[in-house]
Amino acid sequence: MSPSEATADAAVAVRPSAGRHTLALFISELRLVFGRARTQVGLGVLAAVPLLIGIAIKITGSEGGTDGFIGQIAGNGLFLIVASLGLSLPFFLPTAVTVISGESLAGEASLGTLRSLLTAPAGRSRLLAAKMVALAVFCLAATMTIWISGLIVGFILFPVGDVLLLSGSTVSLGNGLLRAFGIAIVISLSLLGLAGIGLFISSLTSTPLAAMAATFGTFVVLGILTAIPQLHAIHPWLLIYRWQSFADLLRDPPYWHEIVRNLLLQAGYLAVFYTAAWARITSRDIT
Amino acid sequence: MGVAQRSRRWLVPVATVAVVAGVGALGPVVADASPKLPTITAQDLLAKVQTAKVDGLSGTVHSSTDLGLPAIPGMDGADGMQGASQVLALINGDHTARVAFASPDKAKVSILDAQAERLWTSDGTSAWAYDSSKREATKLTLPAHSKAKPEKTLPQSYDPQAVAKQILTAIDPTTKVQVSGTEKVAGRDAYKLRLVPKTDKSTVGSVTLAIDSKTWVPLDVTVMPRTGNDPAVELGFTSVSFDVPSASSFTFTPPKGVKVTDEKVPSKAERPHSIPQRPGNPSLIKPTKPGTANAGKPTVIGTGWDSVAMIRGAQTGGLTGGPLGQLLAKAPSVQGSWGTGKIVTSKMISALITDDGRVFVGLVTPDTLQAAAAKAPR
Repeated sequence: MSPSEATADAAVAVRPSAGRHTLALFISELRLVFGRARTQVGLGVLAAVPLLIGIAIKITGSEGGTDGFIGQIAGNGLFLIVASLGLSLPFFLPTAVTVISGESLAGEASLGTLRSLLTAPAGRSRLLAAKMVALAVFCLAATMTIWISGLIVGFILFPVGDVLLLSGSTVSLGNGLLRAFGIAIVISLSLLGLAGIGLFISSLTSTPLAAMAATFGTFVVLGILTAIPQLHAIHPWLLIYRWQSFADLLRDPPYWHEIVRNLLLQAGYLAVFYTAAWARITSRDIT
Repeated sequence: MGVAQRSRRWLVPVATVAVVAGVGALGPVVADASPKLPTITAQDLLAKVQTAKVDGLSGTVHSSTDLGLPAIPGMDGADGMQGASQVLALINGDHTARVAFASPDKAKVSILDAQAERLWTSDGTSAWAYDSSKREATKLTLPAHSKAKPEKTLPQSYDPQAVAKQILTAIDPTTKVQVSGTEKVAGRDAYKLRLVPKTDKSTVGSVTLAIDSKTWVPLDVTVMPRTGNDPAVELGFTSVSFDVPSASSFTFTPPKGVKVTDEKVPSKAERPHSIPQRPGNPSLIKPTKPGTANAGKPTVIGTGWDSVAMIRGAQTGGLTGGPLGQLLAKAPSVQGSWGTGKIVTSKMISALITDDGRVFVGLVTPDTLQAAAAKAPR
């Protein structure tokens, strides 16, 4: 837990009125994020991913011709969820997180509302915490959108049944759905490191577009570094190095080692950039 | 709030970076700190390894191999080379596998690939290979005699101390054997047994075995090259349990929608030395390919670390067009009393391909290879 979260929690415990205030702050923050048209459009695009993949597979009707999860969709609609989540992870989901996180503080600054927020009694630490919680909720909402959309489209377009795991064993549909749900959770947690970077960059500037571009640029650079084999010594430290480990949930039994490493790395990135954003926002002059 | 006080807030993220980097970098080092174990001689340790007997185990193995082999472009796509490149991919690079074993004849290996898995399992009566990315299962029919194989009973005069002494005497002229300390492997206390070749003709710098201090099972093997500080081969458990896995974990039922093929495994004499080296690809199960069908059994020249294997009848002429041919074309030509040929060298392995179709391979320096070629029968 970062120090600012600790202070926020302590404040909640000590002053009940402040707690109610904090809750109101969080709710208003969520309303702000999910009330924006760009958030809703972004979630709409994510919901369309399983639909597009599903229709494409249905039309071409490739049965077992393709390797990996996509090749299994025609045989079991449940794999549409897994394939959609897997295909959204390298680009769609990071883009959405970049846009929302770049907006979070810089957007307020550009509208001039950050000034009143910074002088408000809510406190800067708590404002930052509210922004971060809203980002985390968005990450979860984004993967859940794909999960639900994939579930609906997959069940309508394709047969569903027992799920074939990577290890060659078969589990019930309910178990498979639970594993797909776990994948959605793991992926949403995998996005938190990027969200933290976005929040920090957003605290540096009052131009949301610049924050988004810088965050996305950072993401692309990290992606390029991960793709260069000669840099394997630093690969374990790179944000997206273990992103693909979510598929380990489809082994029998699930292989947790890489997933845990990935989540620890995300926690590390989040801690560093959240505290950096905290240092920036609490030492910022009100102009 | 003063400027100094405000800028002090930046110490928090800086400290966080230090903590995160410190825990990430030093955590594994601290966890691997050398445990305190009673001292043991190399001979006693070898004797213990001889008597090591576990009824079953399961765990996760990580292998990391860097033989310094040159990357061969287009090798994956080339016809006929697919098998060789797959085998190469299996030994080279980083791999994680789940392994399970139960005596006497149940075994299972699953290699955890990125979003895929290849597994081989045998419950003693039937064996299966399964490749999740292709969704293909292969049923391997084991040769009859391996089932009827009687349980080897150890002779009464069996003395591990004597055997250990024999081994030590046998390898003593060529190898320095010592217990080089302790380490933690997969959370277990282990002794390190270090073997150092006395010859300087070998590319092997040292071989270190980590031997569990309770079951005396080797848990980790590290091969260091003579030059460089990075291990050429590191193969070891990252987690291990010595509970006997249940019999059901070795059975395999081909799932629905999976292509099943039957494959007869060649009898033991010509079978590859271990199951996991051979994926379930039917073309790989065949021990020889038409092109190399005439290639005889390898002849071993020399003894100990600087021994060299010679393979006759390799059809090098047919390789000129392929990617391997390109590699050979780039390789330096050498000549000696043995004739002329091309030499391919890497950090660990050297190979000499002569124009008259002999291939010399060994974990030795190129000079040693040529010296061996000169001594070799035509």
